[in-house]
Amino acid sequence: MNTISHKLLDILVCPVTKGRLIYDRDKQELISRSARLAYPIIDGKPIMLESEARPLTQQEVEQR
Amino acid sequence: MSDKNQTTHFGYENVAVDDKATRVAEVFHSVANKYDIMNDLMSGGVHRLWKRYTINKSGVKKGDTVLDLAGGTGDLAAKFTRLVGPTGKVILSDINESMLEQGRERLTNMGIAGNIEYVQADAEDLPFEDNTFDLVTMAFGLRNVTEKKNALESILRCLKPGGKLMVLEFSKPVVPGLNVVYDHYSFKILPAVGKLVANDADSYRYLAESIRMHPDQETLKGMMEDAGFDKVSYHNMTGGIVALHTGYKF
Repeated sequence: MNTISHKLLDILVCPVTKGRLIYDRDKQELISRSARLAYPIIDGKPIMLESEARPLTQQEVEQR
Repeated sequence: MSDKNQTTHFGYENVAVDDKATRVAEVFHSVANKYDIMNDLMSGGVHRLWKRYTINKSGVKKGDTVLDLAGGTGDLAAKFTRLVGPTGKVILSDINESMLEQGRERLTNMGIAGNIEYVQADAEDLPFEDNTFDLVTMAFGLRNVTEKKNALESILRCLKPGGKLMVLEFSKPVVPGLNVVYDHYSFKILPAVGKLVANDADSYRYLAESIRMHPDQETLKGMMEDAGFDKVSYHNMTGGIVALHTGYKF
């Protein structure tokens, strides 16, 4: 219930850039490096809206 | 990005393009928990027949991947999970958190799990890979989208070649005389029922107005063709109060 399925991860892309996403299991976020945004996953439900996404910090952009 | 001075319609009101999504979101947050019962009351149960026809014409097979966009409380998605079977997949998507959560709760309570996923997304910027879906359905959702052209193009991108879009939406009555009855119903009776059941006449007045502002059958057909859909056709139901538009990606 609270994890996101592989089948879903396979077809999701960043809505802004259509680039690939990296799944951060600990933070429950989908990271779009190309858009420098992190989309939250709440109760296993990805919120794929630019307006709800968290901007990545410079440090996060560099380390990933 | 839209020009700050540009306006679009929110029912009969003109609002800034940038504000429409927020205003629509307020309406659906407000009606989410009464949405199903209101649909039954407002249409006299006929919305079930419109949806059943849509499912019968969907051509969904075992193993298909289906996107039910602006799927609200999941009426279509629930049926599709049975048709695609355990090897298929259905994605229920809505831009509105309250509506999507209603849908998930309802489908989970119906025992539907395993081949369904829930994604909060904007129809204008779909977060899916190119060529993913065999079918995309949008039932009573397109009229609430600010830039319909963006949504149609985004859907086309996500469809597989050979895939199909079905848009079920209020349209323009084609039977003489029906307009008068329908107007009285939508502008007098519907908001009154909305007030009685959901204590929210304004939201239901928006729904009635937004229905009138939505493009008629031929206009929507043209919009789908302009977006790149092939073999676009439509079928009127209940005298054209509702129309089902279908288009393919080839």
